[in-house]
Amino acid sequence: MGTGSSAFVRKIWRIAASIETGVVLLMLLAIFSALGTIILQRPATRPEEMERSYSPFALRILDATRLTDVYHSWWFLGLLLLVSVCIVAASVDRLPSRWRYFAHPYKYPDEGFRHTLQPQRTVELAPEAGVSEETALAAAEQALAARGYRPQRVAQTGQTGLFAERNRLSQLAVYVVHLSLLLIFLGTMVDGLLGWRGILTLHPGEMAGAVRLGDGAWRELGFMLRSDGAGQEHYPDGTLKQVWTNVTLLEDGRAAGQSRILINAPLVYRQVRIYQSRTGGNGEELEVAHQPGSWLVWSGVVVMGIGLLFVFYLVHVRLWVVPVRCAKTGKLSLWVGGSANRHRHGFEPRFNELARSIEEELKRVAAAAPGKGLSASGIR
Amino acid sequence: MAQARTGQRQPEGGITLMVLVGLVIALLLLTALLDRSRSGELLSETTLLHATLLFYVGAAALYLGFGARGTEGYLRWASLSTWLGLAANTAAVAHHWYQAGHPPLTNLYETLLSFVWAVALLTVVAERRYGVRVIGMITMPLAIAGVVLMEQLRTEVHPLSPLLQSNWLQVHVTLAILAYAACAVSFALAVMFLIQDRVETRTFLAISSASTLAIYASIVVASVEKWGGLAGTGWAEIAIWHGLRLKAPLALLSWTMLAALAVVATPVVCCALDFRKRSERLAAIARGSLLAGILLQGLSLAVLLRLTGASAAAGSGRLLTALGSSPFVLTGLATSLLISVFFLVLTWRRTELERLLPAADLLDRITYRAICVAFPLLTLTIATGAYWANQAWGSYWNWDPKETWAAITWLVYALYLHMRITIGWRGRRAAYFAIAGFAVVIFTFFGVTYLLRGMHAFL
Repeated sequence: MGTGSSAFVRKIWRIAASIETGVVLLMLLAIFSALGTIILQRPATRPEEMERSYSPFALRILDATRLTDVYHSWWFLGLLLLVSVCIVAASVDRLPSRWRYFAHPYKYPDEGFRHTLQPQRTVELAPEAGVSEETALAAAEQALAARGYRPQRVAQTGQTGLFAERNRLSQLAVYVVHLSLLLIFLGTMVDGLLGWRGILTLHPGEMAGAVRLGDGAWRELGFMLRSDGAGQEHYPDGTLKQVWTNVTLLEDGRAAGQSRILINAPLVYRQVRIYQSRTGGNGEELEVAHQPGSWLVWSGVVVMGIGLLFVFYLVHVRLWVVPVRCAKTGKLSLWVGGSANRHRHGFEPRFNELARSIEEELKRVAAAAPGKGLSASGIR
Repeated sequence: MAQARTGQRQPEGGITLMVLVGLVIALLLLTALLDRSRSGELLSETTLLHATLLFYVGAAALYLGFGARGTEGYLRWASLSTWLGLAANTAAVAHHWYQAGHPPLTNLYETLLSFVWAVALLTVVAERRYGVRVIGMITMPLAIAGVVLMEQLRTEVHPLSPLLQSNWLQVHVTLAILAYAACAVSFALAVMFLIQDRVETRTFLAISSASTLAIYASIVVASVEKWGGLAGTGWAEIAIWHGLRLKAPLALLSWTMLAALAVVATPVVCCALDFRKRSERLAAIARGSLLAGILLQGLSLAVLLRLTGASAAAGSGRLLTALGSSPFVLTGLATSLLISVFFLVLTWRRTELERLLPAADLLDRITYRAICVAFPLLTLTIATGAYWANQAWGSYWNWDPKETWAAITWLVYALYLHMRITIGWRGRRAAYFAIAGFAVVIFTFFGVTYLLRGMHAFL
């Protein structure tokens, strides 16, 4: 429990959570991914071609550094893991302050906040108008409600003000996107560890229930497939149009269903996906894949889509209205302030419009009141 | 000097140029129409494509005319020409769609057709909605390069291969095109921002000549078939696309290309030296070599066109090589020439451009807005691509070059957003980032198809 080690841990944490680390890691990820597209990769290239393309010495170096199989190398996976750690650290580091925004909205602006906030307006009420604080707040409430806000009264130290907001969720949108990335990473990891893929050879009329995996091992499917014939269709000009295999699914020797497997239309049964071979022309070979993590990936994709929509198009708007009475003259005015967490330039004109509508509403109320009415508003 | 030019400006000169551009367009349209009416295909896709090209070239010529003379009236006519080009382009898209029976999104030709259309549409939107009047100066050359590349690719409608018979294809490619078009517009806006932000002309010289050099270098590098012990992916074998050789061997490129490479490299070297120690003489050399570079680039373009024509006459074997080599090389050469000319226009008309463009601050913000549109689209492009790959290939991620580069593009724009939102990058650095991002987009769109092999071979 030495202070030295906890300081060290804190330092590591700070490094992991820093945006600079994130930027460097993302850059490295981009660079190494690019390398894998420029250097021939072992899984996709025949060994003879590798030897033809590179000199023996170059090939030895590339193999030793795993540059011939970048995407499955330990250092690339390590990099992905580091990126994940960094995303988690950065999110955890910043989440508490964001969460405060979300869970405990700042509802009553104090003097310092009122002084610095932009944009803001002060609508001044003529003393002879005889408009009370209560009437002024009710008018502002009316104006806010007309624009779809639901203002609430906030009392603090004997003062009452108004607070209204919209799209508070926007504050958390970035974390939703980060979470979605983690879901996708997790899904691919599960698939990498528990998933498998292989080839199922199926002659017409015959049955098969075992798949030959990439490393030569066999895997039982737990059910059987029987081919009821395969074929292909061509366009009038001779190009291939479609390849199909008709299969019957057999559970314990009994038929459990029939299906036609086409290119682009795989058969999904008991978490196993069976595809028409991409090479085409050979209807006897089917590709089989088991991806237990794919639902994580797809839910990650959906969450990311929603998160990005929130990040870019959901703006957290906050509005405050506070009646202010001048200590010397006793003159009453309404202070209106607003804040938006993004696209602030787009927010300003909308805020101005809102302030104007509050002013109009006040004028209307003042005209109805026994006094003379509202003086021209001053804009501070 | 600029002041003197402004003083000399006369409306008559402007009208002359507009009349000339109009006459050339009319003449070319007339000959095309006569040609077509004789062959009985008046409203064919080729005609429409020609019309599109003509109007885009007309717009670019008017922008160039504005560059040379500084007459603002040209800009309105350029805008009109863009509108007409967009109309012809829309007709070409509709025609192709009608003929093929599916949206034009299945191969490189069709994708380019839609991409150019989207770029022109966004140009018009940026002009109308945001008042970025001269954005066409950058997007029109881009559109021209796209149409030129398209005209070199075959226009016949192919039946869809089984892999492409999926509804996801349309969704995926539409999203990709929209994303890339938004990236293109963000690039153009970023360049406009740099102009408005008073970036020094020599910085523009450095950037423009570096991109020219990159284009020439990649053409020459790609035409060398083997690099000692280190042949890159696809470089050992010549890429075949729809039966066409995509690359020409070095011998076919002629010496003009190498000379142009040397000359376009000169300003880059000069700029590199100049950044260390400012020197008038270096700047003069850079400017001189830029002008010489424009001439040599024009020459090598002409030589390539002649070679293509000559081998077209010589027999089918060579025709395939030369024609196949030309689409990318030709577009590369045209783009690089346009970049140089754009720089020239910039040096001539800096003050007018600064007056005409919206404020730097606004440009900065709409660049960001364009990327805010592009990024979700890029995300959805990758997601739909993954879903489709899972249907067709049995795996949602295959580390195919196209996939990988799409992910890299996504990473680059994700970096941009983090830099901007979290670190607070604004203005110049953000603009450079947006430009770099578009370079990656271009590589993903063309470079991967051209240089790298993969399963994504149909595009």
